[in-house]
Amino acid sequence: MKIRFTVNGLEAELDVNARHRCIDVLRNQLRLTGVKEGCGEGECGACTILVDGSPVNACLMFAPQMDGKELRTIEGLAQGDALHPVQRAFAEAGAVQCGFCTPGFVMSTVALLERSPEPGDDEIIDALSGNLCRCTGYRKILDAVHLAIDLSKRASLQAQSGASAGTVPQPGGAGALPCSREESHKCNM
Amino acid sequence: MQYVKPRDEAELLAHLQRDGATIVSGATDVLVKMRRGMRPPEVIVDIADLRELHGVSKSVGRVVVGAATTEEALLNDTTIRLHFPLLTRVLASLASPQVRSRGTLGGNVANASPAADSAIPLLVYEASACLVGAEGRRELPMDEFFLGPGRTALAKGEFIRSFALPIPQVPWSIFYHKVGQRQGLAISVASLGMLIRCSHGVVQEVRLAVGSVAPTPMRLRVVEGLLTNRRLSDSLAAEAGELAASTVCPISDIRATAAYRRQVIGDLLRQFLASASGPCAGL
Repeated sequence: MKIRFTVNGLEAELDVNARHRCIDVLRNQLRLTGVKEGCGEGECGACTILVDGSPVNACLMFAPQMDGKELRTIEGLAQGDALHPVQRAFAEAGAVQCGFCTPGFVMSTVALLERSPEPGDDEIIDALSGNLCRCTGYRKILDAVHLAIDLSKRASLQAQSGASAGTVPQPGGAGALPCSREESHKCNM
Repeated sequence: MQYVKPRDEAELLAHLQRDGATIVSGATDVLVKMRRGMRPPEVIVDIADLRELHGVSKSVGRVVVGAATTEEALLNDTTIRLHFPLLTRVLASLASPQVRSRGTLGGNVANASPAADSAIPLLVYEASACLVGAEGRRELPMDEFFLGPGRTALAKGEFIRSFALPIPQVPWSIFYHKVGQRQGLAISVASLGMLIRCSHGVVQEVRLAVGSVAPTPMRLRVVEGLLTNRRLSDSLAAEAGELAASTVCPISDIRATAAYRRQVIGDLLRQFLASASGPCAGL
């Protein structure tokens, strides 16, 4: 069955097996292996991707249902070597142990912050309620989301002031790692 | 397995007349079943992108919800929030954001799980389903829709087009609680929804529906009868709780025992009634 869709901004036209799931196409045909398969039943969220901006379990979607959709996976977040603010925040806050659940948590967080840039704790917890971490717990993941909120705010402020003043980003600004060691200790408390 | 995407309702209806045809929208249920060993349906009829079955609209005195409207779209819908806050409340605790992005109201209902969360608001708001088959359309009260676990009044070749919810003329006080083993993605062990209207501490009207404590989600009309026109009190709440616990017919399964489920329903109802007779009771 032929389908057309965009993934991480690129147009794709593929022949897919209608029995396959979205995650099979992403991992096996497109080699987007950042999309992890945990439970395969929509319980763990490791395969979370964005479909037209909404978080979706790639294991609970038939391959033909990708047709006409705009998909984003963890691979599409970084711009060249520059990590997405949410990725930077997860690394800085140490919200990772084995890392298997991380792409899913990051994608759920991206979906949340695009919809609601400054969510409260209840909103964050609800947005991440479809993702499981079995290594460590959720404290540092929450810290990472808070850090991501700060980083995203700073990035958009910088983008605004940069645009209005026509200046290049300052050293230590958008280009550099925006979270110092000290700050990361703070967010871990 | 054949996979078809009808472009309109007429095509959908035609595909459904074929042997082995199964409607799929979010696929959040069928793919779980297939992974657990269910044979794939012979013909999958995918209605996820069928615009005619999407959306919320207002008609005379009622709100109509397309069967393929996603749970997330409904959760964020302001008309639903305004007129049917219990539905919004239930959707907020249904599965997870990922499942709600794909899962639909029609799918949740058509699967006819005894634990289908969205059945409770549909029952207490006295919604009806608009069913379309080869012989035409019919409207069926949700009260008559569920026949047993996984069994519904849908005839072969028929599909749910939409749900109609009558807009309440006077606002209700709403109560809902789902007991599960965790907050996110919990399949309910027992759930109770209640709409109630009191005047000076006397119950004018009350509607109760339960999930996961009988072969289907169901109204507790006997208990509603007991409460109507009675003054709320601790003893009435206790009496109603006992009647509710003995009216439901739960089973023991992997999630909880039957006795526990009975107790939970009775306790929840007592709590709800205690809150309903609180400071706002005279309103």
